[in-house]
Amino acid sequence: MTYAIQRIAFSILSLFILLLTTFLLSHVMAGDPAIVAAGPNAGAAKIEALRQQMGLNDPIFIQFFIYCGSILRGDLGTSWFTQQPIAQDLLRELPPSLELVLLAMLINLAVSMPLGLITARYAHSKFDDMVRLVVMAGAGLPVFWIAILLQQIVAGNWGLLPIAGRLSFANRSFSGPTGFYLFDSLLAGNVSVFFDALAHLLLPAIALSLLFTAVGVRITRTSMINEFRKDYVTLARAKGAGEARVMFRHVFPNGATPALTVFGMQFGWMLGATVLVEEIFGRPGIGRYAIKAVTQSDIHAVVAVVLIIGVVFLVANLLVDILVYALSPRKQRAG
Amino acid sequence: MSTLWTYARSNIERTALIVAALVILMALFGGLLAPFDPLKIDFRSKILPPSPEHWLGTDGSGRDVLSRLLVGAQMTLASTAVVLVVVATFGCAVGIFSALVGGAVDNMLMRLADVWLGFPPLILALGFAAALGASLEAAIWALIFSWWPNYARLTRMVTVDILSRKFIASADALGVGTGAKIFRYILPNAFDVLIVQVTLDISAIMLAISGLSFIGVGAQIPLPEWGAMIADGRSYVANGWWIVLAPGLMIFLTAFSFNIIGDMLRRELDPTSRRR
Repeated sequence: MTYAIQRIAFSILSLFILLLTTFLLSHVMAGDPAIVAAGPNAGAAKIEALRQQMGLNDPIFIQFFIYCGSILRGDLGTSWFTQQPIAQDLLRELPPSLELVLLAMLINLAVSMPLGLITARYAHSKFDDMVRLVVMAGAGLPVFWIAILLQQIVAGNWGLLPIAGRLSFANRSFSGPTGFYLFDSLLAGNVSVFFDALAHLLLPAIALSLLFTAVGVRITRTSMINEFRKDYVTLARAKGAGEARVMFRHVFPNGATPALTVFGMQFGWMLGATVLVEEIFGRPGIGRYAIKAVTQSDIHAVVAVVLIIGVVFLVANLLVDILVYALSPRKQRAG
Repeated sequence: MSTLWTYARSNIERTALIVAALVILMALFGGLLAPFDPLKIDFRSKILPPSPEHWLGTDGSGRDVLSRLLVGAQMTLASTAVVLVVVATFGCAVGIFSALVGGAVDNMLMRLADVWLGFPPLILALGFAAALGASLEAAIWALIFSWWPNYARLTRMVTVDILSRKFIASADALGVGTGAKIFRYILPNAFDVLIVQVTLDISAIMLAISGLSFIGVGAQIPLPEWGAMIADGRSYVANGWWIVLAPGLMIFLTAFSFNIIGDMLRRELDPTSRRR
């Protein structure tokens, strides 16, 4: 219990620093917020009026508290380029991105976990050396470059998968309550839309997952190797447990937990990396929204994206840490 | 340099060393070797495939791709180097300070570093670019801002370990000053661990810089930064594959080589990862 409270306190501290960073970015570093808010063609009188209205003549820490207050009420300001409340924009753009990241994470886990386990079991074998080399190559791949090549070769030249977008033209009118098309289509019992959405997701998800999978394999391997060296493994073997039982019953559950922490962090990083992929595949989403906002110099929209990805990151880490804690019997006794 | 060569145990590692050396030479002298002006637009010779005159073809504005790669090496690698030098120096200072002072200050600094470490650098950089205006400098600042805690944490860990050794106790008994302790005992002993980390970070930072340039918040088109070159060539990928392939391959080969070298250095220098 103490652990949970400490962990939540840490998340709140993180949130505070995140808010401070976004405040500094949007209110201090970006220049006079009144000029920013007034838009490019405003006169001096309008700017001064806005300055009063926005409380910019108040001391900076009071401004910070006002800023935090409005964020906590869910008010992120209004975007110039969509002319809509930013919070509303983000709610619309988040589901497609989360859908992409979840699938990429699934690919990541499906490759990292077994490969990490096997290379740890057969550490320093020929196979391990080969995987290590592939992994180092993967960690050197520019995500956006691989995305362009996959799109051109797999979708463009071979025509195996759709080139861009979220759905085919025939399904363009589909929409659902959650905005997660994979989920919505199943909910509506529409299998063809499900596979259509999945086909559109596949290439971007693979491109997005490659770099993270490379790191994932290494982390899992390291963590599994540490498990294989422990006494209980020797004991299990001495008691005559088969190698499969040692690997899957003993080593895997124990070795997977520390790796989970890293995968939790990767979730937030992946959401950040959607800026490199969504634009290429013409998918709506938070990454594409962020790029559009940057090119339109819409500072508040950009900072809102920074904030929301930071929050997703904090929540993902909190959930994973509590999960890891719940899974680990040793910590339960100590806490 | 020759020490590095003796570390290499396989042809893959030797190749990586050669590639890395070539890329560094390219960054230093590439501008002198470029056969054409990397920024000169000539629409009459646009999207020419590789030929004896233009070894890597020309891009959508008729610029020589090879010349742009050679000149661009400097932008990509120099930015990476600047980020790493600043981040390692600053992180080291914070880490050593934190370990030496200890107690509540140490605890607070490391909590701060933990919080910081989390945020995706790419997104933070977007925020920086929006606040400062998009440029290579803004991208460099953003990466410095988000990367230093890695080094603060690492250096603190290593320093705490060094401080617990016997030679520090003897130095204390002899009345060695703090400054001398840092420069004569801590830094030399932490060097191996740090150099491994720096080498492994080269690829990550290079990918981040080129990624930022690709999405338009780092080096701006038409500058021949490798990521910006890929962004520029994107619309020609169907009929001019070399425009996108060449800079991407350069980024990949450089990052891959430094990953291999980092892995090799860790094996040779880091005692905790020795093969059993």
